[in-house]
Amino acid sequence: MTHSGDQIRSARFRAEREGSWRRLEQLVTQAEARGLQAMPFAASRDLAALYRQATTSLAIAREISLDKALLEYLEALTARAYLTVYAPRARAAGVITRFLTQGGPQALRRSWLFVLLGFLAMALGGLCGALLYLDDPEWFYVFMPPELAGGRGPGASNEKLLGVIYDDQAGQKPLGTFATYLFSHNTRIAIFVFGLGVFLCAPAFVLTFYNGLGLGAFYALHVERGLGLDLFGWLSIHGVTELSAICIAAGGGIQLGAAVLFPGDLRRADALAQAGRDAVKLALVAALMLLVAAGLEGFGRQLIQDRTARIVIGWGIGALWLGWALRAGRRS
Amino acid sequence: MSTDRNYLTPPEAVPLRLEVAGLGARLGAQMTDILLTLLAAVCVVILLSLLGATSPRALQAIVILLFFLIRVPYYVLAELAWNGQTLGKRLMGIRVVSHDGGSLQVHAIVLRNMVKEAEVFLPATLVLMLDADSPVFSLLALLWVAGTLIVPLRDRYNRRLGDLMAGTHVVFLPKPVLLPDLSARAPSHDRFPFLPHQLDHYGAYELQTLEKLLRAQAHGSPDHQAATRDDIVQRIRRKIGYADPVPPADSQAFLQAFYNAQRAHLEQRQLFGDRRADKFHASGETSE
Repeated sequence: MTHSGDQIRSARFRAEREGSWRRLEQLVTQAEARGLQAMPFAASRDLAALYRQATTSLAIAREISLDKALLEYLEALTARAYLTVYAPRARAAGVITRFLTQGGPQALRRSWLFVLLGFLAMALGGLCGALLYLDDPEWFYVFMPPELAGGRGPGASNEKLLGVIYDDQAGQKPLGTFATYLFSHNTRIAIFVFGLGVFLCAPAFVLTFYNGLGLGAFYALHVERGLGLDLFGWLSIHGVTELSAICIAAGGGIQLGAAVLFPGDLRRADALAQAGRDAVKLALVAALMLLVAAGLEGFGRQLIQDRTARIVIGWGIGALWLGWALRAGRRS
Repeated sequence: MSTDRNYLTPPEAVPLRLEVAGLGARLGAQMTDILLTLLAAVCVVILLSLLGATSPRALQAIVILLFFLIRVPYYVLAELAWNGQTLGKRLMGIRVVSHDGGSLQVHAIVLRNMVKEAEVFLPATLVLMLDADSPVFSLLALLWVAGTLIVPLRDRYNRRLGDLMAGTHVVFLPKPVLLPDLSARAPSHDRFPFLPHQLDHYGAYELQTLEKLLRAQAHGSPDHQAATRDDIVQRIRRKIGYADPVPPADSQAFLQAFYNAQRAHLEQRQLFGDRRADKFHASGETSE
């Protein structure tokens, strides 16, 4: 009798394959430490092949072996190898390019209805804010937090209001700081509006509506003083981009909430997962737009003091966004 | 097996065991992450201000940017770079996996971490801001916190909302350790011969318990173990009707031989479609 004939079947099974398992274990450790990309071609090819062999071994071992140690080892090894083989392999540059040229605009077009609802929330808020202010100026203090208004209110003089719009102290403020602050602040709001949507739409809608209320009251205040067009220019240069971003983020949030409220034939978790695919892209588009808006607000608004130029730049960039959303990433 | 929450079916269609991470480990990882990133950000700021390399204005901008980066962007970038792990998750030995067993997608990582803002950071801030003077606000905050906590508590896979949306869950990383094969060190069959009917008493459960015992024999005090071992030998002999006496000096060898014979026998039965989960297999209705 040979030595292997002495062993029971499952021990022989193990003896024949143990070498390749050890090799797989070594490759997995290597891949986990250094990353798949850094591994030589032969090693990553072996990793994939050995992983598939190991899954087969595991399936067989579950049938024929009662050796607990072996089973546990194989379970752990294949699971570990699976995590390595099916690791996210996307590279950052590729992901960003694909998002800009396809993913983003396509998601915007697919969920146009929700984006529209986001804009609607803001517009309704603006309308209500303006009407309420015209009814009673005291509403202004309800809608606008004092630190955001920066001393501008029903009590402020025309000169003061104009002074803020056409910044007389331009250049004295640390532009960079302000822009970074705005970016991080607004992006957090957008992420927030988006994340809140999942709680049955309402928070995202209400928050956007509330934003609109403040805006409406603020605008009505200036219109009342005959400064409507000046404020329009002041807001246009960054606001077209910034407010659109918040509306789009809200649209993403509403999409999530709608999936929870109206899952259709799917289970709620599945509906949420499906809505999440596009909704997250909306939030990313919003973050990108806010980055641009912060740049415009920090630099453009303070460097460009002419009303017409402000309006042209603001809406020009808005048209570019719209063109991007409508045209980019269409399949020919 | 596929209905077990600890199994994930990859495209190879062999279910793999990946134990769902407990809420404690996940909470620990989250705390570690928050602490580490906060500490890192503070260190960078202190270092910069000590060096005096930047103007106060630029420093202010850097601070704002840093505190923005350690929120959502840190988690997204870390999970992309480290294959579904952040620093905290690495310490806790847990990992994000795709719920359907496929590859972990970029959009899933982005999504699950974006929701974190509303699901983790906001409730945490709210709890820190709790104020006895405004009961309505406090009640709302507590409701919110309860709402975000209930979802992972009630979910079978401990998924939080972000996980549900992204189609992911978090698992413990398994550690592969290959112990030597016990049957390899068995003596030849001739010394303790077992008859087939003597091996019909036990099932896989008893066999694997014996395996555990034999592996544990290597450690611990010898005297105490010798007594236990002898006791087990006597029980097995009574159960299977093994007539020949086994002297205490030979008990280790006997157990080893019995393990070998029993395993060979059970594996053989299993090949013929007769799985024996435990010693109650003969009484018909067993656990399996």
